[in-house]
Amino acid sequence: MLAYRLPREPSTPRSSVWRKLRRLGAAQLLDGLVALPFDGRNRESFEWLADEVVEAGGEATIWIGRLASAAQERALAARMSEAVAAEYRCVIEEAAGLLSGAGVAPRRSLLRLRRELRRIRARDYFPVAERERAVQAVESLAVEMEEARK
Amino acid sequence: MKWATRPHCHVDRAACAWLVRRFIDAEPEFVFVDDPEEVPADATPFDMRGVELGHHGGECSFETFLHRYELDDPVLWDIARIVHEADLADERYDVPEAAGLDVLVRGLSMTHEDNELLALAAPLFDGLYEFKKRALLLGREPS
Repeated sequence: MLAYRLPREPSTPRSSVWRKLRRLGAAQLLDGLVALPFDGRNRESFEWLADEVVEAGGEATIWIGRLASAAQERALAARMSEAVAAEYRCVIEEAAGLLSGAGVAPRRSLLRLRRELRRIRARDYFPVAERERAVQAVESLAVEMEEARK
Repeated sequence: MKWATRPHCHVDRAACAWLVRRFIDAEPEFVFVDDPEEVPADATPFDMRGVELGHHGGECSFETFLHRYELDDPVLWDIARIVHEADLADERYDVPEAAGLDVLVRGLSMTHEDNELLALAAPLFDGLYEFKKRALLLGREPS
């Protein structure tokens, strides 16, 4: 867990930290308290982020914590899974839209979706069914485009 | 000289160690400590929290090294962009090589101890340097 406080101004460091937390898929527990599943990589990411906060004139501490109840732990994991699943669903919808749309979808749309999928997978800490469906949706789009080019 | 960093090295530390040996200190000795407070008095720490040769202003330690030692070789800056994305993946640079380099070094870190990893990663970075040097001279990727 990362507990941090940043000055309101300037806003650039605030948005930089926020962007990085979003990319990591951190769960916001309270204002200025975020959590990630414990592993070496996440710990290191939080450590560098804490340094960034301190360099920007803020305060940051890193905590290694465990929820006292298994039910709350499941609820938090479920919340994080749901956030990732929602991102996958956006990809699935977009891929389906391109697949059923008139004409052949431009190749750059496929590349963009693949990139988006890679980003989501990097913060996909708990298995969700939507992952496989999203991968399949994007790859069927790829196959369709390949067929259309023949 | 003695250099200290955290154990279980990944791409940024492997790249920094290669940079040190090739451009800064011909006979470096690397020691690995978990906490910045355990750094030996005669060692220069890098890629650890709160040290000069760490992450600063959103840049990775390899980039900090290039600034600090005024290494302005454009080939090294090409490599710096790759290391940055391999380590931070913040999409500041468009370098598709980064994902591959990250996986290779992470794989090596699973099968080898830190000093072995640094020794094995060095020829990888030597090759990357040569490739990027030729690319720069040719103005396109070498065949």
